[in-house]
Amino acid sequence: MRPDLGALLKTTTFRLGLVQAGVVLGFVVALLLYVYFETAGQLIRDSDVLADQEYASLERSYAEGGIRRLNQEVVERAARPGSMLYILAESSGHVIAGDLPTLPSIPGSSPQRVDFSFDRNTADGSATHVRARGRMGRLLSGPILVVARDLGDTAFIAGRVTRALWTVAILGLALSVISGLLAAWQAARRAEVLAGTAREVMGGDLTRRAPVLGIGDEFDELAQAMNGMLDRIEALMQTTRTAGDAIAHDLRSPLTRFRQKLETALEQPPNSEADREALRKAVEEADRLLDMFAAILRLARVEAASNWRLERVNVTDILQELAEFYEPAAEEQGLKFSAQVNENLAVRGDQGLFTQAVSNLVENALKYTPSGGRVEVRAMQRPDGRVEIDVLDDGPGVAPAERDRVVERFVRLEGARTTPGAGLGLSLVAAVARLHRGGLHLRDGLGDDGKGLCAALVLPALEMAP
Amino acid sequence: MVEDDADMAESLKASLTADDHTVDVAGDGELGQSMASEGGYDVIVLDRMLPKKLGVSVVRDLRDQGVSTPVLILSALHDEDHRVEGLNAGANDYLGKPFSTRELLARVRALWNGRDREPQTRLAVGDLEMDLLARTVKRSGKKLDLQPREFRLLEYLMRHAGQTVTRRMLLENVWDYHFDPQTNVIDVHISRLRSKIDRDFPQSLLHTVRGSGYRLEG
Repeated sequence: MRPDLGALLKTTTFRLGLVQAGVVLGFVVALLLYVYFETAGQLIRDSDVLADQEYASLERSYAEGGIRRLNQEVVERAARPGSMLYILAESSGHVIAGDLPTLPSIPGSSPQRVDFSFDRNTADGSATHVRARGRMGRLLSGPILVVARDLGDTAFIAGRVTRALWTVAILGLALSVISGLLAAWQAARRAEVLAGTAREVMGGDLTRRAPVLGIGDEFDELAQAMNGMLDRIEALMQTTRTAGDAIAHDLRSPLTRFRQKLETALEQPPNSEADREALRKAVEEADRLLDMFAAILRLARVEAASNWRLERVNVTDILQELAEFYEPAAEEQGLKFSAQVNENLAVRGDQGLFTQAVSNLVENALKYTPSGGRVEVRAMQRPDGRVEIDVLDDGPGVAPAERDRVVERFVRLEGARTTPGAGLGLSLVAAVARLHRGGLHLRDGLGDDGKGLCAALVLPALEMAP
Repeated sequence: MVEDDADMAESLKASLTADDHTVDVAGDGELGQSMASEGGYDVIVLDRMLPKKLGVSVVRDLRDQGVSTPVLILSALHDEDHRVEGLNAGANDYLGKPFSTRELLARVRALWNGRDREPQTRLAVGDLEMDLLARTVKRSGKKLDLQPREFRLLEYLMRHAGQTVTRRMLLENVWDYHFDPQTNVIDVHISRLRSKIDRDFPQSLLHTVRGSGYRLEG
């Protein structure tokens, strides 16, 4: 698609081009002023000084020797080769002697600066119009004297230089506009490709991606960022779809059991022990359903990642308290439970969510590790400065191929269906880790040959205040 | 009770009435506030999302008016920020939905018992005595050796002696945890405490209330 000229003129790139052209123009004007000052300006100042000296000298001659001496001096000086011009006239304005037949103008009573043009005869007989500048005045209210300097050649050169610079300025301006338009056209074309991709995605095709040319410019960077965003959106859509299916599937069995328990209760004689028992079981099923909904809502809130106030979380204290909290239950189950928590660990985050995430990991370990096994909590600052919290066990573990999958929502591995839980625990931990700009990694556990599971929560550390 | 969901209100009222409370129901925040400020109530159970006036504003205004009746806020929004907001507004307890009827009854009972209580330095249940300043516990004059957390657990149970205390109440008040452990962690802590305070004595003080929680009674 070709962007039209009107649209091009509105682009940022073109505007930047215009600004650049303006800067070029400003520079040329400054250069012109400088050249003028250094050439023509200097020439004029020199002429003025020279003309004033000559005028003063002739004024003295007149004062000492009268009109005769003055006339003689003017004739002599006019005859000398050089760029100085002399005119002597009667007070009426009638020219007596000098280089030019007429006065440039009739002066007033006081001496004045004159700047005039006259026709000079050149060697080949033609006349050129040249400029002259000097001083004119009446000597003791008598004769009129003009001393001026012919600026001819020098002024001509300065004029040529000035014209050349103007030409360069206009050419430069034109080139700036053209290159601005070209750059704008190029940028607009690439922006249009990105906009086109975005429009196609809006149109419903989530698989579209912006082309990356691989030249590493800002458009490539934008395209990569855009593609990253689209990947995330697509993954979220996929998760939502899967979650929707999983909710429907996972809620069907507890709801069916719930209904069946209530039916059983209805069939029993009222207020009998069997009736009570069936109702109690129905309540348990209802509780399980509510727990699942609560877990789904909590996960949704964490994933929405908005309005969480992140504050300093003292990892060391929280982990020591959690270890103290879970240790008796672990021992009761015949597990060896230990905690190795380094001092002064802190992250920036939400204390409630962090506590819950670690407690989910510990409960998972307690739930899946058979009696006689070991469960260990470790926390340390890694060499790269991040804080790592490991919950290790030597239970059945998770096969490496399954590890990515168990973090997804509602995924419960075969064999886990008989233990209570909604299958949301690890996905909540992963979501909490993302909220804290960290990650959840599953590795081999404590058992021989890497048997068991190590769930590692890696979060950016917060510097402890000394 | 201030609750706009008529079914919910009716069912909670029935449960509270069965637990020997007399209950008036207001259907919106404004009515609830005017009834509460007239006084005469021992405990106010207040829904958070109410028509006309939010529960949190009702508590704040009641406290500004000098009404000190204990308030329990019920909320579908069970997260830290809302809980803190409710408690800061002047509520005495905050219960997130879903909750069981027993949980609600236990909390109302705790608020009802806690009215106008003086700060105490000694607690006693039967022959069990706790000195809150010296942080010592004796039973029949014999000193018991408790861990700091066991001490806090026993303190909470003794402050609510004679009442049923739910696992959730213990979790929130003794450990300050606001999530539901899937495992029987609380039961294990209770059984350890029980082995320290009850095992060597003929009469048991710490009782399990089936389906609800625990009760310490002399």
